[in-house]
Amino acid sequence: MRQYLNQVTTIVWKDFVTEFKTRELFSSMFIFALLVIVIFIFSIDLSIVKANQVGPGILWVAFLFAGTLGLNRSFMLEKENGCLEGLILTPADRTAIYFGKMLSNLVFLLIMEAFILPLFMIFFNVDLIAHLGPLLLVIFLGTVGFCAIGTLLSSLSSNLKTREIMLPILLYPLIVPVVIGAVRLTGQLLAGETLGSMMNWVGLILAFDIIYIGVSIITIDHILEE
Amino acid sequence: MPDPSKLDPSSPAIQVQNIRKTFGVVNALNGISFDLNTGEFLTLFGPNGAGKTTLIKILAGLTKPTSGTATVAGYDVQNGDSGLRRDIGVISHTSCLYADLTALENLTFYAKMYGLDNAKERAMQAIEDVGLKGRMHDRIRTFSRGMQQRISIARAVIHNPSILFLDEPFTGLDPHGSNVLKQYLHSLHTEKRTIIMTTHDISCGLEMSDRVAVQVKGKFAFMGKSNELDKNNFEDRYFEIINDGK
Repeated sequence: MRQYLNQVTTIVWKDFVTEFKTRELFSSMFIFALLVIVIFIFSIDLSIVKANQVGPGILWVAFLFAGTLGLNRSFMLEKENGCLEGLILTPADRTAIYFGKMLSNLVFLLIMEAFILPLFMIFFNVDLIAHLGPLLLVIFLGTVGFCAIGTLLSSLSSNLKTREIMLPILLYPLIVPVVIGAVRLTGQLLAGETLGSMMNWVGLILAFDIIYIGVSIITIDHILEE
Repeated sequence: MPDPSKLDPSSPAIQVQNIRKTFGVVNALNGISFDLNTGEFLTLFGPNGAGKTTLIKILAGLTKPTSGTATVAGYDVQNGDSGLRRDIGVISHTSCLYADLTALENLTFYAKMYGLDNAKERAMQAIEDVGLKGRMHDRIRTFSRGMQQRISIARAVIHNPSILFLDEPFTGLDPHGSNVLKQYLHSLHTEKRTIIMTTHDISCGLEMSDRVAVQVKGKFAFMGKSNELDKNNFEDRYFEIINDGK
């Protein structure tokens, strides 16, 4: 078990060192998410619609689109110079490779979201501080679901010529339950409701997170096999 | 599952029985069978598309055969056993190195993935062994093809495998790079490692190996001991074998 965890953290370490040197992933995700929010803020008249009604959808669209960029890049890095083959040739369990890549994607996405949230708060003039704890929990659970299924599909689409197109086509229909749940929860939290009154939505996201991770564990072996 | 360390050293390190592999309607391997003893060096010759890389990939457990069996270091290659991956080192067409990491970071990464103690020290030693100590802190992106190949070999042997699969390791190397690689492979062979190498360089393959085989259209059209072959005329014979095989 210790070696398994070492292998997972080694993959995360490798992805962080690479990102620290290239700064390709974070900068592209952050700029893309920011652009989505800026485009929406200029196209919506906030004197007609309430920010807490449209804001959550826009926030999650920004996270999703930017996250997809990150997921695409994640396994492209492994395909360059045949690194994925080198990784598969190590004695590491395939699920350790999956969890390593998933954790990297999760942490990169959470960091990007941490930078986007204050900007969202300023642009939409909404008070996130009052609901910060529950909001962070919702964002975390939604992002876990997104990364869990996204990492699996990214590994699947990485062998395709049209991977940049195929990943969102495969991913978005599957991520719908988590996105709906996350948008509803974010909206109701901004409207002043407590998380305790919306546990059914929390349960829904949690259930899908577990399903996505479970499916990934079962299928990753076959996906990584040529 | 047999423990390879307890295997009889005189028993074959690699046993292949009637391996076949099809990709759709294409028969990449058409029933290959052979044994390779511990410490033996086999070179596979053959034209492009003969199925050499497919055979290496099957033996390395990277892809499964359509039918037939293969045992490497006592492990059935179809079981995906991590023990097999501990016992083999593979050099393929690609370097399997992360371009934006340094040579030391790359090898430390692989050493950790193999669960080796003192990963960084092992990585430094491996880089020193291939003569690139002075470049260990440089990114792989800045390395020439020959230097990348040397680091790739260091990656493949960092866990001290008993069996090596080398798929066209001389591709893209200049004469000096080829010479350095030859000497290094020779030193690995003298350490009693079992090696299978594919190459188009006939004289090099004959010089380095104990046995040679010519693979044509997914099967062995010829197999023989290197020291029993007429090295001066083998190239002509090779072309005859290929033409007969077609």
